[in-house]
Amino acid sequence: MVSRDAMPFDLEWLEDQAMSARKTCLNEIRFATRDRTLGLWMAVVLMLSTLSVGSGLVEVRHQLKTIENLLGADQQDRVAESSKLNDWGSAAYYSFHLTYAPPSEFAYAAIGQRDTQPWKHRIRMLALEGQIYEQDVINPSVALIGRFDFSFLASFVLPLVLIILLYDLKASERTAGRYNLLESMANRAESLWRLRAVIRVSAISVCLITPMILAGWFARTGFSTLLLASCAVLLYAAFWGVVCYGFSAWRKSGSVILISLIGCWVLTAVVIPAATRLLVDRLIPVPSGAEILMSQREAVNDAWDLPKDVTMDAFFKRHPQWSNYQPVQSSFEWQWYYAFQQVGDQKTEQLTNAYRNGRLQRDYTASWISLLAPPSLLERTLQSLAKTDLSAHLAYEKEVRSFHRALREFYYPKFFLNEAFDKAALANRPEFVAGK
Amino acid sequence: MNTILRIAAEEWRYWLRSYLALGGVLVFLLLVLSSSILTKLRIDAETHVRTHQQSAAEQTFLDQPNRHPHRMVHYGHYIFRAPAPLAIFDPGLDAVTGQAIFLEGHRQNTPTFSESAASPDLGGLAHLTPALIYQLFGALVIILLGHGTIVREREAGAITPLLSLGITGNTLLLGKALALLVFILLLLLPLAITSVFALSAGETPLAVLVLFGVYLVYLCLWGAIVLGFSAIMRKRGVVLAALTGLWFVMTLVLPSVAVNITTTTVTVPGKIETDLAMLTDRRKLGDGHNAGDPAFAKLRASLLEKYDAKRVEELPVNFRGLVAMESEQKLTQLLNEYAEARIDGENRQQRLLEKWGWLSPSLAIAFVSRAIAGTDLMHYHHFQRDAENLRFSFVQGLNRAHAEKLSYQDDINRNKDEASWQRARVDASNWQVLDAYQFKAASLTERLGNASSSIGVLTVWFLAMLCLLIWSGWRIKP
Repeated sequence: MVSRDAMPFDLEWLEDQAMSARKTCLNEIRFATRDRTLGLWMAVVLMLSTLSVGSGLVEVRHQLKTIENLLGADQQDRVAESSKLNDWGSAAYYSFHLTYAPPSEFAYAAIGQRDTQPWKHRIRMLALEGQIYEQDVINPSVALIGRFDFSFLASFVLPLVLIILLYDLKASERTAGRYNLLESMANRAESLWRLRAVIRVSAISVCLITPMILAGWFARTGFSTLLLASCAVLLYAAFWGVVCYGFSAWRKSGSVILISLIGCWVLTAVVIPAATRLLVDRLIPVPSGAEILMSQREAVNDAWDLPKDVTMDAFFKRHPQWSNYQPVQSSFEWQWYYAFQQVGDQKTEQLTNAYRNGRLQRDYTASWISLLAPPSLLERTLQSLAKTDLSAHLAYEKEVRSFHRALREFYYPKFFLNEAFDKAALANRPEFVAGK
Repeated sequence: MNTILRIAAEEWRYWLRSYLALGGVLVFLLLVLSSSILTKLRIDAETHVRTHQQSAAEQTFLDQPNRHPHRMVHYGHYIFRAPAPLAIFDPGLDAVTGQAIFLEGHRQNTPTFSESAASPDLGGLAHLTPALIYQLFGALVIILLGHGTIVREREAGAITPLLSLGITGNTLLLGKALALLVFILLLLLPLAITSVFALSAGETPLAVLVLFGVYLVYLCLWGAIVLGFSAIMRKRGVVLAALTGLWFVMTLVLPSVAVNITTTTVTVPGKIETDLAMLTDRRKLGDGHNAGDPAFAKLRASLLEKYDAKRVEELPVNFRGLVAMESEQKLTQLLNEYAEARIDGENRQQRLLEKWGWLSPSLAIAFVSRAIAGTDLMHYHHFQRDAENLRFSFVQGLNRAHAEKLSYQDDINRNKDEASWQRARVDASNWQVLDAYQFKAASLTERLGNASSSIGVLTVWFLAMLCLLIWSGWRIKP
């Protein structure tokens, strides 16, 4: 052990500095624990965060349970319908297949688009466009208000809490007349304010994130997802901390600072997102959904009155391999029926692609503009981590399309090669696997 | 009285000198005005498009050539919901509900394609409407202007001299309240302008008046809260922080928390679940496309007896058409049972949500506003019931044509060859069974009845806050 006296002067000075810094730090933490306002808001944030991830977990469990129940009922229904089946055509007509997108392990934190976009469909081999936009009804009164999920809490409510806690960092001391005193006492006053701000932001962030991480452990969320989400939230909290700190340095009264900060919040959380939405919707046109549905219906319905050859020619253009099949001598045959279903889909292909690409384009543009609106940015980030954003929804739509294609690929050879009906072969029908 | 007026005038003079107050109010008015204009333009365009689409859909249906009537049952029809006149102020559920329903035989479809489905997601507050701006930011701007009214005098040490002049605490408070009331009336100016447009679009004057009244009560309620806080607390910064906290808890946090709790307490099964649950019941009803289905044996027997015939071929009516009618009728009954169960579940959720108005007046005003504007859950259900009535009436009209205008022989032989395929048709004049449709908001009495519970909540809130204000007036002491 080196004696104190033997130490060079500057080292001792440094040690003193470190000691005093530690002391200031401890002092500030002690001060913070006695700060009743901070304590109150910590409790509120902890409670709200627990509530949000708690109901998120309940909702996710409910969705998983729904999927499980539906899978059973769907299976039962296909068995019950099997008595009606006496040819391939009726087999395809009466058999529905459940498709679904299960919630991810992080969906409890951001339910996102799962409330507004369909995540389950029962599909059969009729024209797909008539089925894929079918929306599971959710009480619109509920949908309009929106859920209190973690992403909403972190993105929209957290800044307001930080604003309330940080706006009078300096102003209150200034009005209380302690400002100059404190400034002269601490070695560097600036670092003291900074320290106080850091302590408050960290305290609130810990209260916010802890329930989310615990829930993640419970829901077996991937470590990297949790880490990324935590980093995003911390970065976001730090951002608002810096903004508040910057404003609080302004030599104005506390209420002026507070009002200006709320102004910032209104601008970034409300005005910019609302303006963006209007602008993006105006600039990037998307065909109306009703248009797709109507033109598809028209195409399918018109086919009944058109000469069969017209439909079959359009069909063979896409599927030349079946073009030499033997037509049946009747005005109704399944081959023709399913051919015009497919042709109906083909006719709306352009509209469908425009609808899909338009939505993607809108989302993409919005994601760039959201750089100007941090609350939207964080919410979108959390939603993409939770796979509850638009691209996750479109991925599911793609899965449904490829499953529907697989159904067609299963039945077409049976129709066009006039294979004899074999109930046992129905067991080989493609099955929907989520996430494929 | 003179003193009260003088205090109010003095407060206004103070506001006019404060850049911050002016800036805040300006931003608010700008927001309301731009949103009002944009919403009006959008709703007008929507009304135009949907009315046009509606008549186009009707015309297309009527223009269909001679066909087998059952083909028309599946050809189907669309109905569109045109917005109510006050939707230019509060589009309500419009953003999240579909505005068109496809009507066809044997099925009740749900409204498809909501506006929000194709819009980018930028957070829950990106769907700004004039109504939402009043509900959220009207309160905020009152906090901004009103929080300092009394605490400012206290901080400046002006309370004691004022009281010693013989001005009581309540007089002071009344003066400040008057100033705030005038300000609130100014805030409501854009709503008044919007109302004029709604009136010209056919809204009843009383509805507009009631809407104005409830927003006045709502904003005054916030005014009372703000004045009360300003009178009780000692530091301006603390008043503002406390009010801001209260504001975001009431307007942002509580409504969504209410949604979380409501949806876990009362669950409404989704469409696929209902469809699957219904299937067992449906199988008992028999397949209306198959006249040989044992489910229709009773119908067959009673018809044969009625017309004293031995075989269905001898009946003067088309048995297949009668089967279609009978099965559609029974099926519709079943579908309606399930639909009513869903509507009932949604209403139960709504009533539960309304109870949360006791904790958050902004939730209460939101329900009142939508109910009066004709854009609430009840009107959404009205639209669905209208759609169902229209669907059932034209489908049964077509089935009747099937039974009476198409011979049984032609019908069963329709798939034999091209000639019989052509013969199994009825004349296009039969398509006239379709009724024209136009969505109408419910009568004002009905709308008010629906809003009554939330109006009650709002009134109690208002009275309670008034009491708080009077109590805090007594507490103003040197």
